[in-house]
Amino acid sequence: MMSDQQIIEGCARHDRKAQQVLYDQYSRFLLGVCLRYATDKAEAEDILQESFLKIFISIKNFSGTGSFIGWLRKIAVNTAITSYHKNLKYRYHVEIEDYVSVETGVTSFEEDFFTSDELYKVLNELPAGYRMVFNLYAVEGYKHKEIAEILGIDTNTSKSQYSRAKAVIRSKLEKLGTLKKIYTENE
Amino acid sequence: MKAKSNDMSVRELFRRKLENATVIPDVSVSSKLMRKLARREFVRFNPGRFNIYYLGGILLAGITAGILIFSQPGKSEKSDNLDFLGIKADSGKKAVSTYINIPAGNIISKKIDKSESKQSEIRKNNLKQKQEPAPEIDLSKNSKTWEKGENVSHVENSSFSKKSLFTGSSAETNKLKGGYRKNEVLFEPSASSGCTPLKIHFSNKVSSSDSCSWVFGDGGYSNQKNPDWIFDVAGEYKVNLNVFGKDGSKSTYSSVIKVYPRPHARFEISPDKAVIPDDEIRFINFSSDGISYKWNFGDGSNSDLYEPKHSYIKYSNYNVSLIVTSELGCTDSLMVLNAFSGSHYYIDFPNAFIPNPEGSSGGFYSSKSDETTQVFHPGFSGVSDYQLKIFSKLGILLFESNDVNIGWDGYFKGQLSNPGVYIWKVRGNFRNGESFIKMGDVTLLGH
Repeated sequence: MMSDQQIIEGCARHDRKAQQVLYDQYSRFLLGVCLRYATDKAEAEDILQESFLKIFISIKNFSGTGSFIGWLRKIAVNTAITSYHKNLKYRYHVEIEDYVSVETGVTSFEEDFFTSDELYKVLNELPAGYRMVFNLYAVEGYKHKEIAEILGIDTNTSKSQYSRAKAVIRSKLEKLGTLKKIYTENE
Repeated sequence: MKAKSNDMSVRELFRRKLENATVIPDVSVSSKLMRKLARREFVRFNPGRFNIYYLGGILLAGITAGILIFSQPGKSEKSDNLDFLGIKADSGKKAVSTYINIPAGNIISKKIDKSESKQSEIRKNNLKQKQEPAPEIDLSKNSKTWEKGENVSHVENSSFSKKSLFTGSSAETNKLKGGYRKNEVLFEPSASSGCTPLKIHFSNKVSSSDSCSWVFGDGGYSNQKNPDWIFDVAGEYKVNLNVFGKDGSKSTYSSVIKVYPRPHARFEISPDKAVIPDDEIRFINFSSDGISYKWNFGDGSNSDLYEPKHSYIKYSNYNVSLIVTSELGCTDSLMVLNAFSGSHYYIDFPNAFIPNPEGSSGGFYSSKSDETTQVFHPGFSGVSDYQLKIFSKLGILLFESNDVNIGWDGYFKGQLSNPGVYIWKVRGNFRNGESFIKMGDVTLLGH
């Protein structure tokens, strides 16, 4: 078993074995990050691969001060952002599912009611712009001002996109929630 | 307050569940990655892994360098001989050697003086011999241009440059006082500023016998006389023109071209599968670097809001366009042709339903009863005329509806029909005038 320190040193020497260990240890976590930014698993795996190339190239620059996993996550997120920018021009007509924001009174969601697979699916179905803003704000914890800079949009656009993304997610979750309840009741 | 707590729950939910979630990647990802790494590793220089390819590379580099070095002196000697053809070769060669040995600085002027005296000697020779009439014509022409110039004393240098490498290079040292007046306009760009991509035509004011070298400041260059150049990255570029006269003189002129960034017009239409005219359309603006926006909805109406909403009155194929203007007046536009093409209209029927055993509902349904599928009805969009008929297997008409919002609740004459298969047939028109006829069967399930 290698420690993070040994892995980092090994990768800095371009040691194949250390690279393999790094991949084995962190690829699942990083794919979990990438999948939040992608439309499907294949796209997420492309981003993952790109991220690992970047990680292996720049690992010698890792200062060792911050958390290693945080550094890895940051690279994956940045790669996802780059890939979003690259794909943006081909994405004028993304699937925006019809939604009606009906207040059904369901205001909070139980943590264990939805599986993470279901949440991933909800994210994957979002329009790319919504997905970026929602992920960066809600999960990564960036501020709207930072998101605006990262994506090259207006701060207000980031805010409005976020609230729209949230509305879409909420309506999707509610729909999914009712369906799940019906199924469990029928059983 | 309610919205606030709601917000937290969605946000919290995703953060808690997905922040550290793991997903198992496909096995192929690892192997692909390792292949890419191996390729990279192969190219990367690694002294610890010295192999035959590096050896080959070094040998090749060495041979190339050798060829270059050895070819250099031979060439220059040859050109010397050519240049001094017809002139006193001895004095020429001597002059060259002395000149080349000069390192730099003060000594130059002395040596030049010396060389000038030799030149005049050469000139005398030249004039005496009158080998060709051309130099004389050149001479007069040159002196003309030189009258325009600042320093007439250099006439001699220039006039001889054609004949000898030696004087040519001394002219080279005087290049700052070139053949044209300093600051004289040598070219005119078709515009001095504009938006990316900016195409500029440069018209050269210099007589045709000169050769030109343009440097556009963005990494581009040209040797054409009147080049066209496209600046595709915003910035300020110093365009430089060097003109080399036939007399060896060199003049320089430069002009600054300002290239402004162009904004990007981008928008999405929401909802994506809009039904015209039912839906209010939202235009989501993804443009960047703009300060003003002009929307044309294609039905004759416009807006200059950042993100307008619009309701169309009737169905048609509309071209929606957006023109974005930046602070510096650059514009970009995007037009979506046939933004609401009719492919979003549909009508589909389920193949089973479970009637409510407690009594007829009259066939009304809402999205809530839809979840429990108590009424047989279509999912649809953009339906204008509609007729649904339900038959039993024996062909008896059980139910008929002319309203798409009323479906069959499973009752016939107040009696719940038996579980089993029933036939449905529907005909009607979509809003764009397209008609539809469909039929199929549906299974009535009992509780």
